[in-house]
This record gives sequence, C-alpha cells and structure tokens, in this order.
Amino acid sequence: MKQDFTTIPSIIARHPRKASSLIMILQDIQKEFNYLPEEAMRKTAETLEVPMSKVYSVATFYNAFSLVPRGEKLIRVCVGTACHIRGSKVIREQFENELKIKPGETTPDMKYSLEVVGCVGACAMAPVVMINDKYFGSVKTSRIKQLVGKG
Amino acid sequence: MVNITINGKLVQAYEGEMLLAAIRRENIDIPALCHHEAVEPYGACRLCMVEITKNEWDGWKNHVTSCLYPVEEGLIVNTHTPTVIELRKTILDLFLASSPHSTVIKKLAAEYGITRTSYEEVPDSTDCILCGLCTRICDKMGFSAISAVGRGHGKEIAPPLKEPPPDCVGCLSCAYICPTHYIQFTDNGKERTIWGKKFKLLRCEKTGLPTITEEFAAYLIKHREIPEDYFKINDLSHRRELALKMGQITQWGREA
Amino acid sequence: MRISTPKQLKELQKKFQDRDNKLAKKIIVCHGPGCLASGAEKIYQEFKKILSEKKITGITLEALKKTGCHGLCEKAPLVAIEPDKILYTHVKERHVVDIIEKTIKKNEIIPELLYVDPQTKEKIVRYPDIKFYSHQTRIALRNLGHINAADIDDYIRVGGYQGMVKAVTKMTPEAIIEEISKSGLRGRGGGGFPTGRKWATCRKVEDDTHYVICNGDEGDPGAFMDRAIMEGDPHSVLEGMIIAAFAVGARDGYIYVREEYPLAVINLQIAIEQAREYGLLGEQIMGTYFSFDIQINRGAGAFVCGESSALMKSVAGEVGEPRAKYIRSVVKGLYDKPTVLNNVETYANVPLIIEKGADWFTGIGVKKNSGTKAFSLVGKVRNTGLIEVPMGTTLREIIYDIGGGLIDGRPFKAVQTGGPSGGCLPDTMLDSPVDFDSLTKAGSMMGSGGMIVMDDRTCMVDVAKYFLSFLVSESCGKCNPCREGLYQLYKLAIKISEGRGEEGDLEKMEKLSDMIILGSLCGLGKSGPNPFLSTVRYFREEYLAHIRDKKCPAGVCRELIRFEINDKCDGCTACLMACAYNAITGSKKQPHVINQELCTHCGACVTVCTRNAIDVF
Ligand SMILES: Cc1cc2nc3c(=O)[nH]c(=O)nc-3n(C[C@H](O)[C@H](O)[C@H](O)COP(=O)(O)O)c2cc1C
Ligand code: SF4
Ligand code: FES
Ligand code: FES
Repeated sequence: MKQDFTTIPSIIARHPRKASSLIMILQDIQKEFNYLPEEAMRKTAETLEVPMSKVYSVATFYNAFSLVPRGEKLIRVCVGTACHIRGSKVIREQFENELKIKPGETTPDMKYSLEVVGCVGACAMAPVVMINDKYFGSVKTSRIKQLVGKG
Repeated sequence: MVNITINGKLVQAYEGEMLLAAIRRENIDIPALCHHEAVEPYGACRLCMVEITKNEWDGWKNHVTSCLYPVEEGLIVNTHTPTVIELRKTILDLFLASSPHSTVIKKLAAEYGITRTSYEEVPDSTDCILCGLCTRICDKMGFSAISAVGRGHGKEIAPPLKEPPPDCVGCLSCAYICPTHYIQFTDNGKERTIWGKKFKLLRCEKTGLPTITEEFAAYLIKHREIPEDYFKINDLSHRRELALKMGQITQWGREA
Repeated sequence: MRISTPKQLKELQKKFQDRDNKLAKKIIVCHGPGCLASGAEKIYQEFKKILSEKKITGITLEALKKTGCHGLCEKAPLVAIEPDKILYTHVKERHVVDIIEKTIKKNEIIPELLYVDPQTKEKIVRYPDIKFYSHQTRIALRNLGHINAADIDDYIRVGGYQGMVKAVTKMTPEAIIEEISKSGLRGRGGGGFPTGRKWATCRKVEDDTHYVICNGDEGDPGAFMDRAIMEGDPHSVLEGMIIAAFAVGARDGYIYVREEYPLAVINLQIAIEQAREYGLLGEQIMGTYFSFDIQINRGAGAFVCGESSALMKSVAGEVGEPRAKYIRSVVKGLYDKPTVLNNVETYANVPLIIEKGADWFTGIGVKKNSGTKAFSLVGKVRNTGLIEVPMGTTLREIIYDIGGGLIDGRPFKAVQTGGPSGGCLPDTMLDSPVDFDSLTKAGSMMGSGGMIVMDDRTCMVDVAKYFLSFLVSESCGKCNPCREGLYQLYKLAIKISEGRGEEGDLEKMEKLSDMIILGSLCGLGKSGPNPFLSTVRYFREEYLAHIRDKKCPAGVCRELIRFEINDKCDGCTACLMACAYNAITGSKKQPHVINQELCTHCGACVTVCTRNAIDVF
C-alpha cells in the first residue's frame, strides 16, 4: 500500500480549483490510496477553500469513499436484486467465513477487504462478485476458496 | 398582496412569503420543527404539511410543506384535515421512536394524543431530530464548523472527523437554535466548551463580566470589520457609554 | 477533420460502408457486461493472437471487432460471425482456433457452440431465428452488438450523427421540440415524463445559461440497460444530448455515470474526444453559432443521486440531498439555471426520431406509449439478457417467448419491475401490457427497466425486506418519513420474516406506508413503500403464513425453515461440499444427512442439489 502523501497536491491540481471539483478530487485520492487519508481531506479543503466539515460530509455520504485503509484485494459481492434472487446471501456469508471478516472490514494482514454492493451491472450473470476491477459471473459457493486465492 | 384562503377564511399574504408565515399570522398552531426565520427553509421534518387546492384544480388536492411553499393567488389551504393530522401523528410517533427521551418531542406528541410510540424504539437514540437548523445557522454565520455526517438512518450531526472542530468559534448559535436542546455546552464564565472544544472567554474591562470567546472576537474583527478594541468591554458597557454620551448631548442642549 | 456539411457526413458514411463491405467475414466478440464477466477479453485476445500470427487470406485484424452487449448474456461469452449472422454461445478460448479454421475459412458451422431452443431442443444457427431476438424491436439498442464502441467511424457507418446534423443544419429549435413532442417520447428513466414538454419548458425560461444533463446513474439494482448503451454505443447518447442542447440553447452538458461503471466512463470519454475531433462537439458546430461541449461526472455510490435535484447537487460537488421541488429543475436546476435532465435511453432514442420523423416513432408501441423500452431480463428466467420490445408487449411474451420461461421449468411466481420504487406482479398480471400507465395501474412501475423474474422459491416477504433494507441504507436521511418511516417498515418486515409477526402488523405497515408516500420529500421516499405494498396486495396469504402459521412457504426465511434430505439422495456429495458449516455428513453413494444443530438454513445445499433430494419444511 502506498503511504507517500507527497503526491496529494498534484492529484488535487489535476482538477479546476473550485468547489464543484470536490467529489472528483476525493475519487482520485481514493483511487490512489484506496482510502481517504486525513491529510488529503485537509489539503483538499484548504486548496478548494471549502470548509473541512463539507469535505467530511461528502466523504461520509458516498459509498465509494472509505475513511480507513482498504486491503490489497477489494472483494465486492453484489447484493443487487438479480443477485439476491439467485442466492447472493449465501455467497456473501461464505466470503465472510472464508476471510473471517464482515462486509466493510479488512483482514488484519491488509490483504482483503470485503464489501457488498447493490448491482454492478452484470445482472444476467448473477450472482456476481467483483475482485478489484474484474467481474466474476455465476459464482458458485464451491468457487469461493479459489476466488479468494486468485483474482 | 396575494389573496389566499386559510381554513375557510380569506386572508391577504405578502408576495413571495411562504405559506407558514401567513398561517402563523392567523394564530393557527402548526408544528414546524426544522423551521427558523434566521435560516433558509429546508423541509426536513415534514410536520408543517398542509393540504392545498385551487378552485380551478377541479377537486385535485396536493400536500405540501408550508415552510417551503410560496403563497399563490387563489390558494385554498387547510391546515387540519384528517389526513394532515394523521400524517403529523405518524411523524411524531416516528420521532418518539427515534428520540424517546426528548421532552420537546414528548410534549408535542402528547398534544397530538400520542404518549407512547407504537414503533420499535431506535437503539442508541439521541434527542437530535436532524432538523439541520444547527448546520444551517453555522453555515450562515460563516463558520461551517459542523455538518451532517453519513446518510440514511445512520446520519448524525458532527464536527469533521468527529474531533473538536477547528472552524468553531464557540458562538453557541447551534445550541441556541436546536429545537430539542440536544446540543450541549458548558460555560463557567471563564471557559466555554462545545463540541469538545474549549474556548477562553473575554472579559469586559469595565464590569469584569464575560463577553464572547476570543476566537469569535478575532473572527468578527477580521471578517466583519469591527474595530479591534470593540470587544474590550461588553455590550452593556457599550450601551452605558452611549447613554452617557447621549445624556451629555441633551445636557448641552439644555445649558445652551 | 471537421465535418461541416450534411453532404460531407454522407460521403464519410459511404466511405466507411465500402471499407466494411470489403470484409468477407467479421468476427464479433461481445464485450457487454455479461460477456465481460464470463471472460470475453481472453477470447478477444486469443482471436487477435491467432489472426496476427496466422495470416489468413482475406481475413485481417480489421475483421475482428469488440462490440457492446449482444443481448443474450445468459449464453456468454458470445461470438457472432457476420454477415452470416451466426451466433456462437459459451465460447471458450480453446474454440477460437476451430472458429477460424472451420467457420471463417470453410464456412462450416460448429454445432456444439450453437444455441439450443429450450422447447424444441433444436440447434439454431442464425441469431435472428432465435426467439429471444426475433420478438424484439431495437431502437435504443440498435447498434449494440454491431459496432465498435470506441470508433466513431463505425457509428457513422451505420448512420450515426445523421439526426444531429439534420437538426442543427436544417431545423429550428422549435421544430425539433415540436417533433419530439409529436413523437410522444416519454422519459425512459422511470417517471415517463413527456420529453418534448420538458424541453419546451426549459427553452422558454429566459436565462443566458441552460444546461443539459444525462442521467447515467442507473441505481435500480438489477438493471444494466444504461450501462450497456453507454459502454456499447456512447455516440448515440452524445448525439441525443447535442440535439437536446441545440433545442434548449445549452452550451454545457454533463453525463453523470454510476461509479460502478468504469468502462462506461472510458468509452464515453473516447467518444467525446472523437466527436470533438470531427467538430461535432465544441465551438461552432457544423459551422453554425451553436457551441456545445460535454463533461463526465462519476457518481460516488449513492442511489438517491439518480433523483434529479440530488444529481445536480452531486454534479456541483456536494452531498446528494434532494431539495423540495416546488420550483422544478427545468426552471431552476444545476447552479440554479434551467436544466434538462434525461435518461441515457431517452437520449439514445432522440437521433432516430429526428432522422425518421415522429410518425415513424408513433407507429411503434401503443397509444400514449410510443416506441420501445429496453429491459434487463434477469432472475430465474432461462434467457437472461438485454432486450428491447415495443411498448404494449405483454409480460408473458417477454418472459416466455423472449426469456424462454423459467429455469428448470419451475413455476412462475412474480416479476419485479421498477426497482426499489416498483413492485412485484403475480401470474394473474402476465397478460397485461408493459407500458408506463398499465404498470403503474397494476401497482408497480416501469422504472428504468430492470425486470426480475421470480419462481416459487422466492419469498415475497424476503423480497420486500430486501428492498426495504436497500432503501434504508440508501435514503439520504434528510426527511423524517423516509429516514424513520422506512426504517420502521423494515423492522416490521424483519419481525414477520423471523416469525415474530402479530395480527395487525400488516395493517400497521400499510398505514405507515401511506404516510411515508404522502410525507416524504423526494421520489425515493414517495415510492419506497411500493415493493411492500405490491407484495402485500398480491401475496397477502404468504405474509399471513409467516404471521399466523410461522411458516415460509417458499423456504427462504431462515428462522422458519428446516432442511432434510429425502430418499432421492444418491450420495453425489455436492451438498456436502457446498455446506460451509460442515452440517452435512455421509459417504459417497450413500444417502447424506443434515445435522440440524449445525445447519444455519442458508440453503447452499438446495442450490446445488440436482436430484431434488432436499426438502424444505
Ligand atoms: C430515488 C430516485 C432514483 C432515480 N434514479 C434514476 C436513475 O438511476 N436513472 C434515471 O435515469 N433516472 C432516475 N430517476 C429519475 C430521475 O429523477 C429523472 O426523473 C429522470 O432521470 C429524468 O429523465 P427521463 O425523463 O428521460 O426519464 C430516479 C428518481 C428517484 C426519485
Ligand atoms: S425522501 Fe428519503 S431520500 Fe428523499 S429527501 Fe427524504 S430522506 Fe432523502
Ligand atoms: S444485481 Fe448483481 S449485478 Fe446487477
Ligand atoms: S418546518 Fe416545514 S418541514 Fe419542517
């Protein structure tokens, strides 16, 4: 995981210096560090001249942002309607059992984070799991050990 | 002026004002927990809902929050229809489940005949009803020290990172505007604490009484172009000085 | 190169068509959402490798094409051979050589890759002969599965930008709005508001700035039409937006794309840059005084941001809290300026209406509901995928003719449309037509187009609970009826599903629902109780079974069920392997047993058992 915060100003500088850039900047920061470090939020507030309270409000409103570091592999189990109907609950539980964490948590070794997401747009292949940017369709319980291993 | 009918009575309202103002002028009591004249209307508590219609709407009726709905010529407003009352009861019932210990909510609910919530009490409930008045007044004051955090049922009001808020000057506007007195502060005449942040109070050089916080004074001097020595004495002393001056002026007049 | 006259566009089109006609065969590798989730990229790479290594006469790399969703996602990954219209299903990397050697070189069909009709068991060679395709009419999805999304030339080849060029060079803004109004086009984002009327209102607001926004937030879990269009035919969205901008007098446009759709962002960005290069976006388009450009905003994961006022706040970089709308956003929208907001599919329809005329459009569909609607047909249906049908098509046609009926021939129970704002319709409604008004009357709603088919193993209490849990976490939390009301509704649904329900609970929930609908500030709260209301309307007995008999007839609600293995078990060990709680024991070829102490009622075993050997009580 990167912990070099010196890149923060350059990430912020990619966007116009106005309040409407706030979400886009936070998205880029999230992408770079896998979470929103406090320094980054402060720096963003300062640069855009937006109150820190507004930055924090936005950071906690949207699901895409995480205030704590995430693991190397982000496993997102789709729990959208199509996936729910085709048994995503069992899939989620099996991941929980396998990784010994609940959705929203990260394994102590910082390898895996588990999250649930309401539809990733591959509903025809339900149940769907996303590991980082890759989609896995028609996931069966028997495949979960293997998915945790690779991906 | 705009002509509207409230509960059968023809009344005149000012162009551009909201229905709630016109209704209150008629001494009709409707609850409006998220409303305050000092800030822009918000429409969150939904208690101020009323039924509206117009003659030309062919019997079609709408329900709107009166705090947010501008008066319109020919509007026919009913503030206490069975449906409206039912809605208010439901909302108060829900508030009673989420803030069961708030005396303000309890009293208001009792006025609508509800003494116990018919729903499941919300775990970790607080007296905050998320009316948003505190954050709106804080924004309006120019500090934006606190904001809504999170969303949905887990939403709360908090300072950034849930730490003592750097932008807070301890003006207490939020605590005073809070309709349920949820926002707590302490003030012993020397020191004030709110949102976990400590402030030192300035003292009036004349009376020795506490005035405002150092931070607030510094802010006003910097951003509101108030003279630097203004906060050396308190308002009372300012008024006294003024009275003294005025007295002198009249004295001179008589002498002449 | 800048395109500045209609003639120039025609010539370009001719050039690209000629180039395309020279290709003896085209290999289409579907890169839609379903195929991507099934390894389409690997197939494409394999084709690319072999084609560049082997040097086959007459076939160059140009013949290989990635396209957007072909439709029949269930059989992913798909490979189509054009112009023969051959469709290969479930293609694996090892099939690639075969396809090249046999089909491309020798015109031979590979039977094992063909689609098999579930009823007749017949193998079908050409996809237009498959019922899934033959019952559809494609307007918004017209180019999906046919063109390369990342290539503006391919879009121009199939007639792209003709509508926009006609609008900008030959029509007045008023005439465009008139044409759209006459076509009866209604918003495809769910509400079905007449698009022409929206544009007319916006145009009339006097202001020096107007905005055009495309809603690509697609929050309905279970829907991916908009994703497929943005990824597979981004230019059709841009073209629709340019026409809208010209009609209302906007200079700036925004596309708000759901955060889970990274590929849509990439393809739209490529499309925007290409359109700028051709002078179709930017300053003085087609040599006129009309200038317009588009920027992409990514969503950040909030369902409520699909709501218009919340979306506009989010574009402005703020928290997506809806505002009370006594002044509509067409009058006071983004940055308080008049703003037209339309859905992705709505925009995709616009170019064709302008090109072919309103009369052509009203000729499709039914009265007051002209045109078509795209759906993502998913759930327990055989042919899951992306479809588009004329308005007024019945649910039965969609589910049985196009969808091929239910998986494993199980009985149909309900179909869910309209996402978290919609509802579940039972078999008695199967013959009702699918259009805005009929669905609303039936207690559901069109929504953006998710259509989830449910069989007898789906519990309606569980479905209602599922949607309520979704809404409780997605509510913005601003207003009381939605934040607290939906929460209490959810708690009551849990109570029933766990067997703690009491007489009177349903009535209490219905009353609360009415108040949430009446009192909420925005559409999320106002339609939030619909999934509950529609299920209780059509499946009250099922709720009562939970409340009175403490039973879940569908075998879903864990607190109320028990699994047992019956004598059909032949000891295949599938269930034993599937159980994560080690609750199943037994040796191979011997009947297995479930240890009730360890069983968590998760149902994993039932999903893998092919012998029907596990009973639910
Ligand atoms: C809670 C909520 C979520 C919505 N989500 C979407 C969405 O994901 N996509 C969409 O196009 N419209 C969505 N809408 C509808 C939009 O507010 C708006 O009506 C629509 O985008 C207008 O476009 P149209 O007229 O072309 O349909 C949503 C509405 C609500 C209340
Ligand atoms: S109805 Fe729900 S989502 Fe809409 S404003 Fe109210 S709390 Fe927010
Ligand atoms: S519901 Fe899971 S991908 Fe859409
Ligand atoms: S006072 Fe109008 S909604 Fe709260």
